[in-house]
Amino acid sequence: MKKAIGLALAVLAMSVVATSAQGSNRITAASAAGVNCKSTITLPLVTPVTGGAGFLGAEQGSWAKYAVQTLAKPLGLKVKFVLGDTPVEQGPAPAQALAQKYVADKSVLVVLGPSTSGAVAASSSTYYAAKIAHISPSATRTSLTQGSPKEATPAFFRVVPGDYIQGPSDANYMQNVLHVKRVVLMDFQEPYSVGLSDAVEAVLKKGGVATTRLSAPNTTTDYSAYVTKVPSDADIVFFPTQKPGDAQTFAQQLIEQGKKAKVFGGDGSNDPSAFKQPGSYVSNFAPDITGIAADKALIAGWKKANPGKAVGSFGPPSYGAAQVALNAIALSCKAGHGTTTRQAVLQTIKKVKIKNWILGGSLRWSTKSNDPLNAKFYIFQIQANGSYKLVG
Amino acid sequence: MDTFLQLTVDALTLGSVYALIALGYTLVYGVLKLLNFAHGDVFMVGSFIGFGVLQLLGGTSKPVVPVWLLLVLMVLAAMVGCAVLGVVIERFAYRPLRDAPRIAPLISALGVSFFLANSMQLLFGATPRNYNIFDLANASLYTNGFNIGNVHVALLRIITVVSAFVLMVLLWLLVNRTRTGKAMRATSYDREAAAMMGIDIDKVIVFTFVLGSALAGAGGVLQSLRVPTTVAIGFVVGLKGFTAAVIGGIGSIPGAMAGGLILGFAESFSQGYISTKWSDLIVFSILIAFMIFRPQGLLGRADIRKV
Amino acid sequence: MTDSTPHGMHEGPAVGQDEWVARHAERRIMPSGPLGTIEDRIRRVPWWAWLILFLAAASTLPAFSSSGYVRYVAFSTVLYMLLALGLNVVVGWGGLLDLGFVAFYGIGAYAYAILDSDKFGIHLPTLVSLPLIVVVGAIVGFLLGLPSRRLTGDYLAIVTLFFLQLFQTITTNGDDAFGHNVTGGPNGILRIDPFHLGKHDLVVQHQGIFAVSYFYVALAFFAVVFVALRFVNQSRTGRAWRSQREDPLAAEAMGMPVNWLKLMSFSFGAAVAALTGTLFAAQAASVFPLTFYFVLLIIVYTMVILGGSGSQAGVVAGALIVSPLLELLRDPGKSRVIFFVGLVGGLLLMSRRSRALGMVAIATLAFGFAVHETLGAIDKSWIAGEHQGGFAGVTDHWVVAPAHLARWIAPTSYIGLIAVVLLVTLVRGRTRLVLLVPTLYLAAFVWENVMLAKPEPARYIVLGVILIALMILRPNGLLGERRVEIV
Repeated sequence: MKKAIGLALAVLAMSVVATSAQGSNRITAASAAGVNCKSTITLPLVTPVTGGAGFLGAEQGSWAKYAVQTLAKPLGLKVKFVLGDTPVEQGPAPAQALAQKYVADKSVLVVLGPSTSGAVAASSSTYYAAKIAHISPSATRTSLTQGSPKEATPAFFRVVPGDYIQGPSDANYMQNVLHVKRVVLMDFQEPYSVGLSDAVEAVLKKGGVATTRLSAPNTTTDYSAYVTKVPSDADIVFFPTQKPGDAQTFAQQLIEQGKKAKVFGGDGSNDPSAFKQPGSYVSNFAPDITGIAADKALIAGWKKANPGKAVGSFGPPSYGAAQVALNAIALSCKAGHGTTTRQAVLQTIKKVKIKNWILGGSLRWSTKSNDPLNAKFYIFQIQANGSYKLVG
Repeated sequence: MDTFLQLTVDALTLGSVYALIALGYTLVYGVLKLLNFAHGDVFMVGSFIGFGVLQLLGGTSKPVVPVWLLLVLMVLAAMVGCAVLGVVIERFAYRPLRDAPRIAPLISALGVSFFLANSMQLLFGATPRNYNIFDLANASLYTNGFNIGNVHVALLRIITVVSAFVLMVLLWLLVNRTRTGKAMRATSYDREAAAMMGIDIDKVIVFTFVLGSALAGAGGVLQSLRVPTTVAIGFVVGLKGFTAAVIGGIGSIPGAMAGGLILGFAESFSQGYISTKWSDLIVFSILIAFMIFRPQGLLGRADIRKV
Repeated sequence: MTDSTPHGMHEGPAVGQDEWVARHAERRIMPSGPLGTIEDRIRRVPWWAWLILFLAAASTLPAFSSSGYVRYVAFSTVLYMLLALGLNVVVGWGGLLDLGFVAFYGIGAYAYAILDSDKFGIHLPTLVSLPLIVVVGAIVGFLLGLPSRRLTGDYLAIVTLFFLQLFQTITTNGDDAFGHNVTGGPNGILRIDPFHLGKHDLVVQHQGIFAVSYFYVALAFFAVVFVALRFVNQSRTGRAWRSQREDPLAAEAMGMPVNWLKLMSFSFGAAVAALTGTLFAAQAASVFPLTFYFVLLIIVYTMVILGGSGSQAGVVAGALIVSPLLELLRDPGKSRVIFFVGLVGGLLLMSRRSRALGMVAIATLAFGFAVHETLGAIDKSWIAGEHQGGFAGVTDHWVVAPAHLARWIAPTSYIGLIAVVLLVTLVRGRTRLVLLVPTLYLAAFVWENVMLAKPEPARYIVLGVILIALMILRPNGLLGERRVEIV
């Protein structure tokens, strides 16, 4: 009997907590319902905050937050910024749950992210059905917007070029500038690296370069056996890891075993504090923004709000994504005379043009897809003092 | 031939660390008949303790003590820290369950493992920690060493393997040449009889956990000298350590050492010669085959249960 | 059979019922008075009445909240209930520690994904694929159980754990199995068909919002599985399971086919998990390898252990508590509410046993305010932190919440809290009560400042603590029965 009472109490307490902590949830056809532009709009960023890719969420969160803090008021909007956590270890389930949550929340008009391509694939159809535009600052998988069938929906946008640009760009650099004869390509049995290595391999093969493909489980930390398999005449090991420390380890183990190959990392390895082996290469979708004159004030402001943190490379695109989102909301509010809907915002996204784009130049959308027009990847070489120098 | 030699070097390095972990499992299982799932996470905590000590002593760019002393201090600190952790875990999560059905401490161990991994993530975040030994003394730990033919054996690997072997020898001496070791062996044969002989079972079990966890901590530091560590490695490392213990024969100390080396070789060579993708599968198949056809492993005793 | 007919002249149990089992209820000590009568009446309510009541209550949930999110969480909870029922068969009834259970869940999901999607162009009718997958699940469960014939509890646990790892490896690398893309690899399988009956599709979303029809389908599955398993448990198979679980040696000596029983429990558990997998895959319209891994295993185990392994109602209750709890703990505001409600509720519940605990509660309150004011007087910034949601407005006056947390505070206070809590378990009597006061306050501090900052690992820490505490304090969970293992 006591057990039953205790049980009933527990369940009762839970439901009390749950209902008391919920807001009101009366939702009509949310996509068609008008939202008053003077009310507080919620802007979520769906990104890994905890887990192995938590550094992504930390960087992107700080930049997106800064964008909301500095851009919302001048546009006449009241915006609340929230973070939705999608730890990569849990697969797509958190992304789907969060999608449900934000679809149900009337004050959400646009979503930033999801940051990981897997999360996009899992939740894009939910957002599209609710007519919520989702702008990702880092989901670069090619099959999201290219090919057939596309894994993402027409409501998905990204402000950085996809892997279908990074792959050929890296491969062309290797062929044309580095004149490679033999390349080893690694992947880590997860979508990002597999897609990227596939893309690079295809271009290299067409160019007549000899390629070897190695595949390591995502949990690998000791790459000795893989280093052993690197042929002694290989020039480059393409290492698209999302853990820069692993790229560093690999480079060191190459030296230890006396192999001449250099490590070539993707945008996931871009971290001067963790990956700093001189002679290695890194490709990234943005030049180092500290070198762009137009961004100086912006960077100074961000640094003041985030003392002691490095600028990083994943953060600035989130600023850009937030900027696009806020501008789209403001534009559609103007067109709708004070009210707007999710549908309206979705249709306005592609009309947004940003002159002093944080990643350099200006932002224009491609007409064929929801990717930016003329985006390119930049290639850096790591110098003797560990700094990144733009070489391609 | 070069590949073969290189893979052998890799296998020895890997295998010695696996042997250290397997020893911890074997010791605890022998005395308590409990599979300590939290062991892998103790390993992980050891690697973080080593990292902390490294940072305290100036990091790899400006260490305040000579290199050899730095390494020794890191290993010692990890051993001591993990020994304390092991004792705490035993005292509060396993001792109350000593007379409970066998399932209970197993599930408690699962809970402890989960708790440890997530606590470390809560406190220290999920970013990998790299010791960056490469930066120490101008990469001399990597570039020094000796060459067999075309294969370079780095000083770092030699240190790893030698330290592991030294620890294992010390352990063997402790278990076979001291009174407490004898008490440990007696407890593992028959706990009740040992108690009746006047052996303090609680002390023996604590001693076992101290030894096992200290070895795990040392293993954690030794492994992290070469590869980055994260809070999530506990699970996989635990699995591998357990595989090694079973292959060698759980309950047998030389068995654990042998099992560790065998596992290192199996992993390294299957990655090198067969396929990197499916090497995990191959290793597991070996384990399953052992468990079905020879559950006592190579050097273990067949378990005879008295009715 | 609780009437007071004279001994030796009772009616006798119904034909086919075992007398000792039937008189089971008599051996309980009944409290007297009105509470006793209520308890007696409640005990007499048949199980199917409880089930119908529960289903009715659950069905009205969508009327209370039209939020797709709430309905989605409810749907997940029902999935968890199904999984808990399945695990209960293996662990609770068979007494086998199956650590690879979620692999069957994954097998069901992937099988449905392969049979009903664009992947290979197969689109089997739902009514065909569902039974097929249940059978496949049962067969795989049977195969996994085969090693159990020669292995004892701990070894079996490891073999099943390796099976889980195996499943993970195969699904992650299945995009290159001898040149064929079978499981989609890390990218998973997308665009899985929803359930359909003839031409009629059971749509998964309406404008992105979770379709409540899946919640009802899940409830229906749950009812069917619950009833089916109950009948299995009441049959001689169930009794055989109980005897084999309590004392395998004696059971074998009595002629029970112990091996066969173990295999049956594996099979049944796997079949239930596979069925749940199809439901999951149909609703999510996609499957990925990482979903079916260690974390999910621990969650389902916590539910089963919390509710009481061996009791169907228990594991359902466990799922009902743990699943929404996990979801609510994602949000710092709600987490705060849960913490304080739980703290106060826990103290109240336990104060029935000892008045002193009520005193502890009051003392902690006073202590807290004292510390808060003292620290505030020393340095305003130590209490200036502001939090949102939940009771933050109130608790910010009680808990010390610094505006900026120095880096050493989080690890020190967390480890300090663990140390103090362990210390409290070691002492007794008045020392314990006195020590409890600062412990509770420190716990509030750690919760507010350390754990709410990172809800994801904090949720799992709560689970881990629940598991450990349960095994030590109350291994039979809420509704289970205390087992004594005969060695």
